[in-house]
Amino acid sequence: MFLLALALAILVIYRIFCTLPNRRRPVLHANTKSLAVFLGSGGHTSEALTLISALDFGRYSPRTYVISEGDSFSAQKARDLESLKQTGAGPAQYTLLTIPRARRVHQSLLATPPTALVSLLSCIYHITLAHIPFPFRNRPPFADILILNGPGTCFMLCIAVYINKFLGLSAPRVIYIESFARVESLSLSGKLLYPFVDRFIVQWEQLQEKVPGAEFRGLLV
Amino acid sequence: MLAFVTVGTFEFDLLVQTVLSDAVLLALRNRGYSSLVVQCGNSAFEFASAVAGGQTVTLERHDVRVELWKSKGALDAEYRHADLVIGHAGAGTILEVLRLRKPLIVVPNPTLLHNHQLELARALGPYLATSSIDKLADTVAAFDPAALREFPPFDGSRFRALVDDEMGF
Repeated sequence: MFLLALALAILVIYRIFCTLPNRRRPVLHANTKSLAVFLGSGGHTSEALTLISALDFGRYSPRTYVISEGDSFSAQKARDLESLKQTGAGPAQYTLLTIPRARRVHQSLLATPPTALVSLLSCIYHITLAHIPFPFRNRPPFADILILNGPGTCFMLCIAVYINKFLGLSAPRVIYIESFARVESLSLSGKLLYPFVDRFIVQWEQLQEKVPGAEFRGLLV
Repeated sequence: MLAFVTVGTFEFDLLVQTVLSDAVLLALRNRGYSSLVVQCGNSAFEFASAVAGGQTVTLERHDVRVELWKSKGALDAEYRHADLVIGHAGAGTILEVLRLRKPLIVVPNPTLLHNHQLELARALGPYLATSSIDKLADTVAAFDPAALREFPPFDGSRFRALVDDEMGF
């Protein structure tokens, strides 16, 4: 019994160790990589789509745009970008994935935990459960790379990614890009995600100086 | 010449009230602005109820033709028509206007609790003018667009290189 418990404990510790963020680059196996991006509404969406517009869609395919329930602005902006980037060779390889909001605007703090839980369960369904490989059934992983730039709901996606890592399922590399609007201090979502993401990017040099491990590549949007 | 004022998605009472003040209208007139268009959002000011109903209010004050309305989906066309943009210091507005190479005066909203807008406006010092509400007339009077540095165009190669490197391309 003791040995069993010990083995279990070692396994859990090993799995937790495996989930730690790292800078090891994956080796390229395929010509394309699947990409997911969270569109957090308003300014978050505009910045995220500006970033995505810079990528070669021939390389990053298929693409998943994760949007919050009721956010028609982001859905439309994602479709606009896709039709703009459409080259004419076959249908565009993208999907819009809707998840419940972790916290609605003006929602009281006390009411947050239940809505956050619903949001988390939805993220776990889409990132973990829907992609568990069964024998004789080929289900591609959620994404090879996940791009996040806030706000809070994107933390739920990050937790689901950690569940994949813990279970040894394929998990996307996670890149967080702090908003161009944040010059001297991190946003709340930046602070939340900082310990968990594989790459943490800021857009102002003075902010990089305050955040150990943050990368600065100049203005990205 | 045309000056365009935007308060962003929500409201900025003080900005709308101030651009309609005698001092700012006279300053605009003296700088050659004969037209002023104001996107008012939900701001509280003397024509708020008419504007809230979706009406466009036009009037003439100090020889400046003024047009007031609530909002439009995208402000791209209004920015393009304008010779000067006066706006709240929201990041999206700033980026869009600077990329269109339009002279910009930003007024950070003093009523916002965590004022990151002021930090952003300061960091963008060489590319735009920053004004407080009570100095807006003076800022307009002294504003020299030629003295501003040109904002760098969008450079997608940085983010592309970052992601390609991460994915092993």
